[in-house]
Amino acid sequence: MPEVVVPIGPHHPALKEPVNFRVIADGEKIVRLELDLSYNHRGIEKAAEQRNFIRVLPLLERVCGICSHSHATAFAKGVEEIMGLEIPPRARYIRTIIAELERMHSHLLWLGVAAHEIGFNTLFMWSWRDREAVQDTLEEMSGNRVHYGMNEIGGVRRDLTPAQIKTALARLPDLEDRIQKYVGMVNSEETMLIRFRGVGKMSREEALKYGAVGPTARASGVDYDVRRDDPYLAYDEIPWKVITDNHGDVYGRTRVRVGELWESTQIVRFCLENIPAGPVRVEAPKNAPEGEILSRYEAPRGELAHYIRTNGTDKVERIDIRSPTLANWTSVAMCLTGQNLADIPVIVAAIDPCLSCTCRMVVVHRRGGRAVPGTAAGESGHDPKSRQDGWRP
Amino acid sequence: MTRPVNPETIAERVQEFGAVLQVRKNRIAVKTDPGRLHDAITTIQAVLGFDRLITISTVDRGGTFELLYHLIGPHRIIVSLAVDIPRTRPVMPTMSDLLPPAGIYERQIHDLFGIVFEGHPDLTRVVLNEDWPAGEYPMRKDWKPDPGHFYGGIKTEEELKCQK
Amino acid sequence: MAVPGNGISRRLVSWARIKSPWITVYNSGGCNACDIEIIACLMPRFDVERFGILVRGSPRHADILIVTGTPTLKQASRLRRVWEQIPEPKYVIALGACGSSGGVFRGLYQVVDRVESVIPVDVYVAGCPPRPDEIINAVVRCIDLLREDTAHGGKEWRQKKPLPAPVPGEKSPAEVP
Repeated sequence: MPEVVVPIGPHHPALKEPVNFRVIADGEKIVRLELDLSYNHRGIEKAAEQRNFIRVLPLLERVCGICSHSHATAFAKGVEEIMGLEIPPRARYIRTIIAELERMHSHLLWLGVAAHEIGFNTLFMWSWRDREAVQDTLEEMSGNRVHYGMNEIGGVRRDLTPAQIKTALARLPDLEDRIQKYVGMVNSEETMLIRFRGVGKMSREEALKYGAVGPTARASGVDYDVRRDDPYLAYDEIPWKVITDNHGDVYGRTRVRVGELWESTQIVRFCLENIPAGPVRVEAPKNAPEGEILSRYEAPRGELAHYIRTNGTDKVERIDIRSPTLANWTSVAMCLTGQNLADIPVIVAAIDPCLSCTCRMVVVHRRGGRAVPGTAAGESGHDPKSRQDGWRP
Repeated sequence: MTRPVNPETIAERVQEFGAVLQVRKNRIAVKTDPGRLHDAITTIQAVLGFDRLITISTVDRGGTFELLYHLIGPHRIIVSLAVDIPRTRPVMPTMSDLLPPAGIYERQIHDLFGIVFEGHPDLTRVVLNEDWPAGEYPMRKDWKPDPGHFYGGIKTEEELKCQK
Repeated sequence: MAVPGNGISRRLVSWARIKSPWITVYNSGGCNACDIEIIACLMPRFDVERFGILVRGSPRHADILIVTGTPTLKQASRLRRVWEQIPEPKYVIALGACGSSGGVFRGLYQVVDRVESVIPVDVYVAGCPPRPDEIINAVVRCIDLLREDTAHGGKEWRQKKPLPAPVPGEKSPAEVP
């Protein structure tokens, strides 16, 4: 049977962001997937080499609109370590609060989008309505709904007033109540169970081999979370636990994310109640000494890695950003093969793709039937045949 | 883990591949050379359980390009394998047969730095747009846009009219 | 405008268009924040559908195009093509600092500096990202323009033309101060 190429994107009703899929399908089954993600490449890394630390932070926040705090914190944390700065405890707590609020808003956003992809628009509306409570808290604390601009080298730019802490704490019980409802819903709601169970399955070995990160990896039983393994900010002072799941499918990823939502509320509550007093910033030198660091950060979508090298001036020599979505593309493309065409949106949505992060750098592409490492097939390059034969029905 | 793995034991094991440059709390940097990188990765994958590639970083250091392969294992210790390749002949054996995710990273490095990864099955244009002139690598330090070149975007009004 | 003549059918179409503008959103290479705020407009708190504002995927159904982000070199031609597919009368909103002027991305090697370099823009919205109420305000401003243009019998009276395309290579990646 001849294979059919279904092009999707870059402008498509089902896509929120510019991306181009070329789905090669045999009937209803996906044979392989070619992804073209270069539509958003802007050249941020080059510009970051030409701006000083003060100007790089707003630029890095705008790598991505959803995980803006992640990029800025990963960079600030790395540069502070090179400079040998110890930021005050209150600043660490404020950064943690913003980071966890960001995780909540991102996961609620994801839950809504995933529900929308399976046609469950009621949950879409509910989760986005609850997300507004998180957005209000963020806006009160930082002054902006999306790009918070809280970080600077040496601490945070704004302190939290007692009134802000009080209103934020007052919003939490409602939110916790709603999140408990979502936890129950994910496990019992028939609409979601039917569409999520067994879809986009990935075993633990595959997740490790293809380098999945974040909730995608944790849903396959990979116990990997930078917040615990390489503690930064205040995570080693806070009681919390890493959520993992053994299902390995979209259902498992939903469970992990909803579980993390609950953990995030508890982290925010703990931080707000136990925030230490004191200054929120220390004076940072203008120039950073020569050095290099691999700054890792657990963004809502998974591990974010900034490789920073400084050269003694007030600019970076090189910054290399590896976004979590980029690490996850290899695995998602792999678990799409052999699935139904109709499941593409759910599986792609299940890794919570953030294309503006990813497209800053990368594209996956496949041509001529050869398996390319790290592409749709994802199969290792030296033995493309063995797996490919298995895909075709 | 059955046997104790800590930065010191790992440093002992990997020093046969080159100088162990620095030991942070949980990060080891090893300076090796391109020919031995494949062996080094095979060894630390098999013996020390480094099962995951975090990323490949590239730094333009003037005369050379420095590639850093950051690997991590279940013991949560990072090994950064650094290699220098000359700018005059930027060729490097691919690691995508050992580490599938390396395929993506190598292709973007090829696009932005012009480093050729030998043995990579499909090393084509990935990040830059389709009109980008061949042989220009924007992340190199000495790259400057050439006023005579067309880098993409909207062409002139006349060309657009012709397309309609 | 699209419906010829001056009769009742034309008046009916104009009325319908003003009462219920349909919108398509195009992310031409921004950071996603504006797109999230647009989706937030559809959600229960802001709920623009109660005003008759519908967000539709296809540009062929749309009256208003919202462009978010600085167009990248790859997206510029696609953006122009999407804009050409929208039937007249069409209005363009450049959303956020990036869409209006390039924002933090101004001068990067892979971007066209602003939306206006690619297509004519009618309404600019400042902010990074603009709040949902500002986005709704921009749509309302577009409806005002539509009403004015209907009275003038077309948008030619405002004489909006796209700016000349930037000469490639003229700008350097070293940014504008």
